[in-house]
Amino acid sequence: VSDVATLERRLARFRATRAAASPAEPGGPPSAAARGAELAERLAAALGGEVIGGADGLVVRVEPPSIAVPLVRERLARLPGQPGPEARLVCLDTETTGLGTAAGTLAFLIGLGWWEDDRFRRVQLVCPDHGEERALLAAVERAIPTDAWLVTYNGRGFDWPLLVTRFRLHRRAAPPHAGMLDLLPGVRRLFRHRLGDARLATVERELLGVRRHGDVGGWEIPGRYLDFIRGGPAGPLAAVLRHNAEDVASLARLLAHLDAGYADPERRALAPAGDLVALARAYTRDRRHADALGCLDDADAAWRPASLGSASWPYGAPAPAPATVSRDRIRAERARTLRRLGRTDEALATWEALAADGGNAAPRAWVEAAKVREHALRDPAGALRAAEAAARAAQRTRLRWGGDPDFEDALAGRLRRLRRRTAATISPATAG
Amino acid sequence: MRTYAPADVASVLATILDEPSLARGVLHHAVEAAREAVTAPFPAWLDPRIVAALEGRGIDALYTHQAEALAAVRAGRDVCVVTPTASGKSLCYELPVLQALADDPSARALWLFPTKALGQDQVVAFRELATAAGLPVSASTYDGDTPAPIRSTIRAAGQVVVTNPDMLHAAILPHHTKWFQLFEQLQVIVVDELHTYRGLFGSHVANVLRRLLRLCAHYGSHPVIVTCSATIANPGELATLLSGRAPLVVDRSGAPAGERHLLFVDPPVVDAASGARGSSLTLAQRWALPFLRAGRQTIVFGRSRTAVELILTGLRETLREHAGPRSRVRGYRGGYLPTERRAIEEGLRDGEVLGVVSTNALELGVDIGRLDAAILAGYPGSIAATRQQVGRAGRRLGTSVAVIVASAAPVDQYIVHHPEFVLDQPPEEARIDPDNLHVLLAHLKAAAFELPFGPGEVFGPGPADDLLAFLAEDGHVHQGDDLRWYWSSENFPASAISLRTAAEENVVIIDTTPDRPRVIGELDLFSAQTLVHEDAIYLHEAAQFHVDHLDWDERKAYVRRVDVDHYTQADRAVTLKPLDVFAAAAAPGGSRRHGEVMVASRATLFKKLKLVTNENLGWGPIHLPEIELQTTAYWLTAEAAAPGWRRAELDVALAGAGRALQTVASVLLMVDPRDLGLVAQVRSPHDGAPTVYLYEAVPGGVGLAERLWQRHAELVDGAADLVASCGCDGGCPSCTGPRPAGGEVELDARALVLRLLAGLGARRSGSATAQPHR
Repeated sequence: VSDVATLERRLARFRATRAAASPAEPGGPPSAAARGAELAERLAAALGGEVIGGADGLVVRVEPPSIAVPLVRERLARLPGQPGPEARLVCLDTETTGLGTAAGTLAFLIGLGWWEDDRFRRVQLVCPDHGEERALLAAVERAIPTDAWLVTYNGRGFDWPLLVTRFRLHRRAAPPHAGMLDLLPGVRRLFRHRLGDARLATVERELLGVRRHGDVGGWEIPGRYLDFIRGGPAGPLAAVLRHNAEDVASLARLLAHLDAGYADPERRALAPAGDLVALARAYTRDRRHADALGCLDDADAAWRPASLGSASWPYGAPAPAPATVSRDRIRAERARTLRRLGRTDEALATWEALAADGGNAAPRAWVEAAKVREHALRDPAGALRAAEAAARAAQRTRLRWGGDPDFEDALAGRLRRLRRRTAATISPATAG
Repeated sequence: MRTYAPADVASVLATILDEPSLARGVLHHAVEAAREAVTAPFPAWLDPRIVAALEGRGIDALYTHQAEALAAVRAGRDVCVVTPTASGKSLCYELPVLQALADDPSARALWLFPTKALGQDQVVAFRELATAAGLPVSASTYDGDTPAPIRSTIRAAGQVVVTNPDMLHAAILPHHTKWFQLFEQLQVIVVDELHTYRGLFGSHVANVLRRLLRLCAHYGSHPVIVTCSATIANPGELATLLSGRAPLVVDRSGAPAGERHLLFVDPPVVDAASGARGSSLTLAQRWALPFLRAGRQTIVFGRSRTAVELILTGLRETLREHAGPRSRVRGYRGGYLPTERRAIEEGLRDGEVLGVVSTNALELGVDIGRLDAAILAGYPGSIAATRQQVGRAGRRLGTSVAVIVASAAPVDQYIVHHPEFVLDQPPEEARIDPDNLHVLLAHLKAAAFELPFGPGEVFGPGPADDLLAFLAEDGHVHQGDDLRWYWSSENFPASAISLRTAAEENVVIIDTTPDRPRVIGELDLFSAQTLVHEDAIYLHEAAQFHVDHLDWDERKAYVRRVDVDHYTQADRAVTLKPLDVFAAAAAPGGSRRHGEVMVASRATLFKKLKLVTNENLGWGPIHLPEIELQTTAYWLTAEAAAPGWRRAELDVALAGAGRALQTVASVLLMVDPRDLGLVAQVRSPHDGAPTVYLYEAVPGGVGLAERLWQRHAELVDGAADLVASCGCDGGCPSCTGPRPAGGEVELDARALVLRLLAGLGARRSGSATAQPHR
């Protein structure tokens, strides 16, 4: 905390210096428009862009070369959580003067990208100074068609709320659009079992096989821009533009990766089993159980011990996902999915096969089999036999891996209930 | 007087006054006559549903102050309501807000309370009123306790948002775009407990309001501001300083009041030679007991946490011995957990709790209903606080009693011997300095973060360009090509500002007696040094705890239940070093100055004192690091006032004069005595002169030092008056302070102080001693 006295002295000195300096200035400050134009020109020259402008002010527009990113929209649309094939996709990524979405953070660079046939075109809009923001926002609004889906990476939590804040500061509503496809949650769901973290750079390296060279660190970006608007050089911003262009390209490449690797059933079969189990779960959430079953079949076929990494979830305890996917796990998921599809006999067979293997999944598999027999097949006697098998299996696994008291209590309760039930239904028969 | 039969207040008082040992101490007995209600009919425009809700509660007219406030708000005028405790102040803003919502459900209101607890109480009360009126109103608190999922609902749809200045400052204003529905439709801003926004805190809050109003202007809303204050001298001025707009002051209460007796009581002198007096705590208990035994609801105010616990212990023990309603007497102070406090408040309202011993925590607008008797163990430090505490006693019908029991402190003695000061004088002014450079710049940054500044735009005292250019030097802001000033830093400036700078960090007190240790309370660092040092006896809810270990770095004190016959009292050593002189001028006998100082305070040792008798049982050292305070101070030097004095004489005279100056400064310059610290130096290391410093207890100061500097002559005159008119011979704790123990020869402190003050140019003004100058 700087103290009041020092502050007073510093202010007094500052005022004195200013008072001494101001008479020397001949015609007051340079005209606002001239200064804005100067900044914009300098920026455009350094970035290889052009100054576009209108009544709202000036924006620097940079268009990096387009790249080939093939995408089969009909196929991509089959993945869970995707918009329909006809929806227009616009990728969006911003660079800002800080973290957080409070009013004092400026999104000074908006990177946009969209497909024109197989070519992915990118346009970057840069704000040459605070006073030109209105023009930047107007340009952004023009670039987002109202029927577009915005494709982002954490855009739901950051980029978009920040843009909403910027528009509201200018007392305007944020541009309407058809939907938001934030790729971050999907990446977390599908790949967290094998990625160290879910940062875009990690995704590029681990999934897309892209390595950036000489990339600017995220923490350097605000400083480079703030230096520039305070009169510093525009040159260091070129790296920021490259960084952003790569980010936007990665959004497109990630979509293409999902399309080619996971939406296509043949290619999907080559994916790691853990990805497929996660994808199956995503289908299940959308109640697309047949698709989920397909994924699990592929996972079962793809499963091999060597494919199991030991990657763990990085975001602190408790770890939400298992570090590995066991084959038992895949089969259990299959059995559940079969049950959801109403394929009761197959579900039962899958549980019983899993149980018969006698691994440490056996007790739970027997219990599931008991549930299917009791509730779906109305076979309390069979259910009782399965529950008894579960108890025997639990005893074995307890010796090998230790027991689970909660599970065993629940099992004991189930046994009691089933015994009562079978006794009630059987005794009249024996009596008769 | 061991009667437990219920009795009315008047006869309890009569019985007490028949008891010579108590009656003797009464120096002054004033009676405030009962006052009839003055009412006005409901205004014609008031929604019939609201009228019906009020009538359903037995309210068939408004008090005149309520009617006045309603009319003003209706006309778009800011209002500042200043009426006594429990006079129906809340309706002054509840009704206009409810009416606004009845007219237009898209209207919004923002209510500010200094604490979360007060806000929560008000929301409950307001919802009840709205429900009674059949108006579907969404009123919610938005504070640190609000769950995240509910927050977005409140932002979008909360019609009445109740929060505190800290939350407004750090969570709402910087994120104003997420609150645009609130800001666009804001019609009423309520600032309740206005009088609590004093000093540094008030200076911060004034700037928070500047930021708020700036955003309202951005969003095109023009809210009316309703402020409510307890009785202070300058509510209108404070509201104006705080909001930047002059309100209509509504200060004539139409609420009825029963007859109230106000007694000023002085403990007897027990040792004429030393001037030592009996304990004010003991005397306060003796006054409280008859009321409690008669089943009359009574509140006893203690000046410190320790005092509260000592009084509570005493009352409970006496009541236990005589089978009185012991368990219905509770303690209440900071450090108790919120749930505990809520239960006590409710108990007071429904009569389950008969007596409460409290610090000034219950001085605020916490709703505890109206009580029969209020006993103040010691002068609370300001007239406003005295009136607030006295105001806790006062039924609408029937008699109530308030007793001010003086301690031996000079301020207390001054007050009981000059009751007119409390009875007739206007109460203190609440001072804030919103333009304190430090505070102003901090909030200017936050304001620039929230919204760019246009050229020539006014913030606080004037156009902000100059200060913004200054901030631009450090890169915080940047003047854009459109000449507006923009925030241009990665930082979040609001997080660097704490509205309540002092004592942000707390020491947690952990009771290790039970198997599972539990947190029983918290203390600020400064208090912790003297209350929970190792081997201290810490009192909580009348239970004694021994402090086994104080982990200073971890801010944790480990305590254990004990039952001992003593308590502890710690001494502080204070050293002061001037850093910079802002202004200096010659004065009779020396000079007067104000400037910046560094004060270092350290707890040095503690005494063990026997309960009840205060007999000294021993002492121990305290090993804790120093706490440093950089602040502003006023000081006077006396190089020419005491030529040729012996060092011992000068020592006694400076300490005594300092004590008297401190007293006069706090009483006549209208601040809490705890806001000013005293250091006297026979030879100042700064310039070698005999010096008396009065420093501000708040980091950075709030401008008190400069005001003392300006009023130097009045201070010296007042100090001389105080000492000269004291009844003691040779100085006493009530004028020149306690005599230094083991002094070589008996020095007549009183005479020396008067000589020194005369040397400093004191002109005595005879009987006009008590008159504050304004």
